[in-house]
Amino acid sequence: MASEDVRMNFEDNIDFLNRYYEASKVEHDSMGSRVAKTLIPSKLTKWQKMKQAAGELKDEGSGGDSIWEEDMYEVDTAEYQSTQRRKLTARSKVSLFLLLVLIPVTIIACVVWVDAQGEFVQWLSGIFGNRKYYILSLVIVVYSIIPFFMVFEGRKPQARELIILATLAAIAVAGRGAFFMLPHFKPMVAIVIISGIAFGGEAGFLVGAVTMLVSNMLFGQGPWTPWQMLALGLIGFLSGILNRLGLLPAKRFTLCIYGFLVTVFIYGGIMNPASCVMSVYEVTWQAILASYISGIPVDLVHATSTFIFLWLGAKPLLEKLQRVKVKYGLIE
Amino acid sequence: MGSLDRMLEIRDLCFSYPTEEKRALNHVNLTVKEGEFIVLCGKSGCGKSTLLSHMKTPLTPHGKRKGEILFKGKPLHEMSNREQSQQIGFVLQNPDNQIVTDKVWHELAFGLESLGLPNEEIRIRVAEMASYFGIQGWFYKNVNELSGGQKQLLNLASIMAMHPDMLILDEPTSQLDPIAASDFLETVKKINRDMGTTIILTEHRLEDVFPAADKVIVMDKGEILAEGDPAYIGKTLKEQNHQMFLAMPVPMQIYSKVKSDEDCPITVRDGRQWLDHLCQEKGIEPVHKAAVMQKKKEKRVLLECQDVWFRYEKETPDVVKGLNMKLYEGEFYCLLGGNGTGKTTTLSLISRLRKPYRGKILLNGKDIRRYSDKELFRGYLGVLPQNPTTLFVKKTVELELYEMIGGIKEKKNDEFEIDMTKKEVVEGIVKLTHLEGLLHRHPYDLSGGEKQRLALAKILLLRPKVLLMDEPTKGLDSYFKEEFAQILRQLLAQGVTIFMISHDIEFCASFGDRCGLFFDGSIVATGIPVDFFTGNNFYTTAANRMARKYLPEAVTGKDVVEWLQKM
Amino acid sequence: MKDTFSTYHPLLNLLYFIGTIGVTVFVTHPVLLGISFVTAIIYSGVLRGFVKTLKFNLIFALPTMIIVALINPMFNHYGVTTLGYLSNGNPFTLESCVYGLVMAMMLACTLIWFACYTEVMTSDKFIYLFGKVIPSLSLVLSMCLRFVPMFVRQLNVISDGQKCVGRSASNGSVIKRAKHGITIFSILITWALENAIETADSMKCRGYGEKGRTAFSLYYFDRRDLACLLFMIATYGMTIWGAVQGYAYSSYNPIIIVEGLPLTLGSFLVFASYALFCLMPTMMELYDREMWKMRRKNIEKSAAGGFRLWEV
Repeated sequence: MASEDVRMNFEDNIDFLNRYYEASKVEHDSMGSRVAKTLIPSKLTKWQKMKQAAGELKDEGSGGDSIWEEDMYEVDTAEYQSTQRRKLTARSKVSLFLLLVLIPVTIIACVVWVDAQGEFVQWLSGIFGNRKYYILSLVIVVYSIIPFFMVFEGRKPQARELIILATLAAIAVAGRGAFFMLPHFKPMVAIVIISGIAFGGEAGFLVGAVTMLVSNMLFGQGPWTPWQMLALGLIGFLSGILNRLGLLPAKRFTLCIYGFLVTVFIYGGIMNPASCVMSVYEVTWQAILASYISGIPVDLVHATSTFIFLWLGAKPLLEKLQRVKVKYGLIE
Repeated sequence: MGSLDRMLEIRDLCFSYPTEEKRALNHVNLTVKEGEFIVLCGKSGCGKSTLLSHMKTPLTPHGKRKGEILFKGKPLHEMSNREQSQQIGFVLQNPDNQIVTDKVWHELAFGLESLGLPNEEIRIRVAEMASYFGIQGWFYKNVNELSGGQKQLLNLASIMAMHPDMLILDEPTSQLDPIAASDFLETVKKINRDMGTTIILTEHRLEDVFPAADKVIVMDKGEILAEGDPAYIGKTLKEQNHQMFLAMPVPMQIYSKVKSDEDCPITVRDGRQWLDHLCQEKGIEPVHKAAVMQKKKEKRVLLECQDVWFRYEKETPDVVKGLNMKLYEGEFYCLLGGNGTGKTTTLSLISRLRKPYRGKILLNGKDIRRYSDKELFRGYLGVLPQNPTTLFVKKTVELELYEMIGGIKEKKNDEFEIDMTKKEVVEGIVKLTHLEGLLHRHPYDLSGGEKQRLALAKILLLRPKVLLMDEPTKGLDSYFKEEFAQILRQLLAQGVTIFMISHDIEFCASFGDRCGLFFDGSIVATGIPVDFFTGNNFYTTAANRMARKYLPEAVTGKDVVEWLQKM
Repeated sequence: MKDTFSTYHPLLNLLYFIGTIGVTVFVTHPVLLGISFVTAIIYSGVLRGFVKTLKFNLIFALPTMIIVALINPMFNHYGVTTLGYLSNGNPFTLESCVYGLVMAMMLACTLIWFACYTEVMTSDKFIYLFGKVIPSLSLVLSMCLRFVPMFVRQLNVISDGQKCVGRSASNGSVIKRAKHGITIFSILITWALENAIETADSMKCRGYGEKGRTAFSLYYFDRRDLACLLFMIATYGMTIWGAVQGYAYSSYNPIIIVEGLPLTLGSFLVFASYALFCLMPTMMELYDREMWKMRRKNIEKSAAGGFRLWEV
C-alpha cells in the first residue's frame, strides 16, 4: 500500500524534475522589455526610463500583483480601511482629553500668569537672559510627555503589551541602522504611524517616544532628545486617534500622503523651532520662519522616505500586526 | 513531610484545538512522583508539546478541554499565578526568545523581582545560582554577547533561582550544537541528582537522556503508547514493532532487529557488552582493523577551492587557512566539524557572500567572481540558510512560493523565465517537498520540519544546480530526517549536486556520498562514509563505536543488523 | 574606559551631568561657558583618550562651531557697534559676531558633554534610576535595548540569505534596492513579532504581572558617595547663588553686557566653584591613577629591598 504509492510518487517527482530542469528559457514580458521592443534603438530616452521606473514601482508594491486589485486575503485588515467612525476606548478618550485640553490649558494659564507677574519675568530674565525661551519650551515638552507615561504606568500593563511596544520600537531603531545603503532613508516615522493605526493612540505615542529615547541611547544622546520624543510620540498618537475616528482609512494612497504631510508638519514642525530656540538669540517669528525654511530640504528627504516606505510596506506590516493581535488576543 | 507520591497527576485529559476536529490529546493519564526524571518522546505532532503546555496555565492553548490536572493534589487552575510560577519552571526550545532583559545579572534576578523578594534575598539567590552554574565569569556581560549554549544555561539558572519543585523542559537542546547540548543535559541531570527537582523533559537526542531517565513515556497521536523504564520501553516497542523505534538510540534499534534473550541495551557501552555476549554465543572472533578502500568513480569537478584563505578583519586570526576542496558533479558532500570552526564561513565563501583574501574559488572552471548575481543565484547556486524562517515574508505558504518567482500573475520576468506555467512548477515542487495540505497555513504556524521543507521548496524554485545547505537537520526528529533524505535522493537522481554542513554524524553517514572533516581552517580528511568513519575513534557513528571490534566497516545500524542476520 | 566617577552611585552621575549640561544650555555667560568647554574637553580626554577626543572635535564640533559663528552675524543685525556693511546693506555688528562665537562654543560644548554622558551613564544605570518611578516603561526600555542588537544581527543574516536568492540590497537601481531592503525589513518584522510572544509567555511563566514587584539593584550608596554628594552640593550651590545674584547674566543686544567682569570677589567665587564642580571627575580620576602608581612603586620598592612578599 504505502510503498507502492511512495514509489509512484518517486517516479512522478523524478519526471517533473526532469522537465523542470530541462525547460528552456523564454523571453520576458515585463514593461521594460515591451518598451524596449517598441523602441528599435536600444538607448532609452530619459522619459522612457522614468516610465519604466514608475512601472516598476507600481508593480513592485505587492509582489507582482497590481495594486488596485483586491487581494482575497485582505479581509483581515478591512477594519483599518473603513471610514466608519468607531468608538474611542475610554483610555483613548482620556489621552485625547489630556493632550487637546488639559495640557494646552495649563500651559496657557501658566504663561499668562507668569507674564502677569512682571517681577518674576524680570528675575528670570535676570538669570537666564534670553535663554528663558529654551527653558520654557523644554518644560512644556517634558510636561506634555509625562502624563502619557503616568497613565500608562497607572494601569499596570500586561507582559504582552510591553513586549509588543518594545519590539516595535526596536524595529524602528534597527531600521535606522539597517538602511545604511540608502542614507537618509529613515523608516522610523512610518513604523510609528503603522503602530498607532494597529494598536491605538496611546500605544502609538509610547512607541514613538521609546524609539527616540532608545535610538539616542544607542547612537548618542543630544540636547534634542525630549523634542524628538514628543514629535514622534505625537505622530503615533495622532495616527491612532484619526484612524479610530474614521478620518484616516489605511488605504495606500491616503496613508502615504498623510505620512508625507505629518513628517513635514509635525516632525519638522517641532524639530525646526526646537533647533531655533536652542541656538538663536532673539526668538522672533522671523527666526522661526527661517529655521523652517532652512529645514525644508532635510524635511523633504525624510518625508519622501516615509512615503516610499508606507507605499511599499504599510499593507504587509499592518497584516502582520493584525495577525499578532488576533492570534494572541491583544485586541483593546 | 514524606516524599510526594503524586507531584503531578493528569487524569483522563482530552483536548482539541478550536478549529480542529481531531483531538490533540486523547484520554491521557499520567502520574509523576517527586524527584523523578521523566523523558517524553514521540513523533513530531504526537502531542507532547501540547501536553507539556498544559502544565503551565499561561502557556495552555485555547480549545476544548476535559479532564483534570492536579499539582500536589490541588487542581492546577486553582493555583495562583504567583504560586505556579514559583513552583513550576518551564524552559522553552529557543534560547533567545526566553530572555527578557539586556544584562545577565538582571535576567537572573528577573523572576525573583516578579515574586517581590527583597533586595538582600535576591542578591543571595543570584549569587548562589551564578556560582552553581558557573556563570560568575560572564555575570556582567550583555546578553547578546553570549553563545546559544550560554543563553540556554542562563534561562535554566534564572528559573532555578526561584527554587521550583518541578522543572519542565520542551526540547531544550534542539537549537544547540552537540557539545553545548550535552553540557546542558548534564546540568539538568545534576540538578535532578543534587536537588531532587522533578524533571519532565522532551528530547530527540535520546542517547544522552535515556541512561538518566527513571521513566520514559512514548506518545503517539495524542495518546500514551508506552510507559516505563528505558529497557522496558525497548522491549515493548520491539514487540509491537512500532515505527517509534526509528527515534530510539542506535543500540536499541539494532537490538530490535535481532533475536536475543538479553536485556535491551541502551547506551553504546551496554551495546558493546551485549554484542560481546552475542558474538561469544555465536562464536565470532574480534577482527583487526581491515583496510577497505573502494574505488572512487571519476566525475567532473563542479566546484573547486584552491588554497583559499580568509579572515574577517585584519586583526582577527584566520578562519579559513589554505582550504583545498573539490566538489564533484552530482554528489552529496557533507562537511562535518566542531562548532565555530569555520564551516559556515566556508559556505559563505563558496556562495560569494564573502571574498577570500587569497586563493581562488572556481565554479565550472570559471572564477566565481566573474559571474553576475543573476547567473550565479538564479539557476546555479541555491543557498539554504541555517534558520529557514529568514526566508519567510508572506502570510501563506502558497504566497511564499509564488513570491519567489515574481508573484501570482503568469508573466515572464527576471525571476521566472522558463517555458512552463508557474502553476505547474509550483505544484510539482509542492508534491516533491510534501507540502500538500499546508498551502493555506501561515509559514510560522508550521512545525520545524515543515518549515525546513518550505525553505527548501523556495530555493528549488530557483532551479539550482548546486544546493548549499547549512545544518538543515537541526532540531528535526528522525521521521523528518527520513523524509528530507528522500527529497534529497530525488534531487540527486536529477543530477543536482548537494553540499551540506552538519553536526549530525548519523545523517551524513547514512545518506552522504562523501564526508569531510573541517578543522583548523581547512578540510583535514575526506572520504566515502565507510573510509571516513571507520578510521575515526571518537568522531564517528554510534553503530561504529558499538560494533567496531567485530565489524570495523560498520557505519549505520543497518550495516550491523545485516551482518548479524547473516551470521 | 571606565573612569573612577563611573564607579560612584548612578544618582551622582546623573546629577553631575544635569548640572554641567544645565549650565551650558541655560546660560550664555562667556566665562562660565568657557569653563564648561575646557573642562568638557579635559573630561572627554580622560574618558576616551585624547586622540579620540581630538578626532571627535575636528569632525563634529569644529564644523558646527564655524557654521554657527558665521551664520549668526549674517542673518542677525542687532547691536550698536557696526563693523561694516554687508552687500545687501545690512550692518555687520560686533555684538552679533560675538554672540555667534558664544553660540558656537555652547553647541560644541553640549555635544562634548553628551558624548561624556554616553560613556558614563550606561543603560542599566539609567534604568535603575527610573525603575522606581516608571517601572513598566523602564522594563520596556530594557527589553528594547536587548532587542536592537539582536535585530541588527538578524538583519545581516536575512540580507545574506536574500543576497543568495539574487535580491541584493546593495547593488542595483535605487527602486530595486529600496524594494529589496523593504523585503528584508519585512522578514525581520515577522520574525520579531512571532518570537516576541514567546518572550511574553516566558515573562508570565516567571511571575511577571503580580503585585509587589521589586527592583533588584547592584548599586549601593556608601560613604564615599555621600562625601561626593556633599562636595557637589557645595560647589553647585555656590554657582546657583551666584546665578541668582546675577553673576551669570549676559546680554548682547544692544550692547554687550557681561556680569562679573572685571573680577570681584563674588564673581570669582562663583566661577571658581563652578570650575571645581566641573573638574571633579577629572580630579578623581587623576588622583586615582596617581594612587595606583604609588602603590605599584611601593610594592616594587619592597621587593627590590629583598623582602619576600609571597610565600613560596
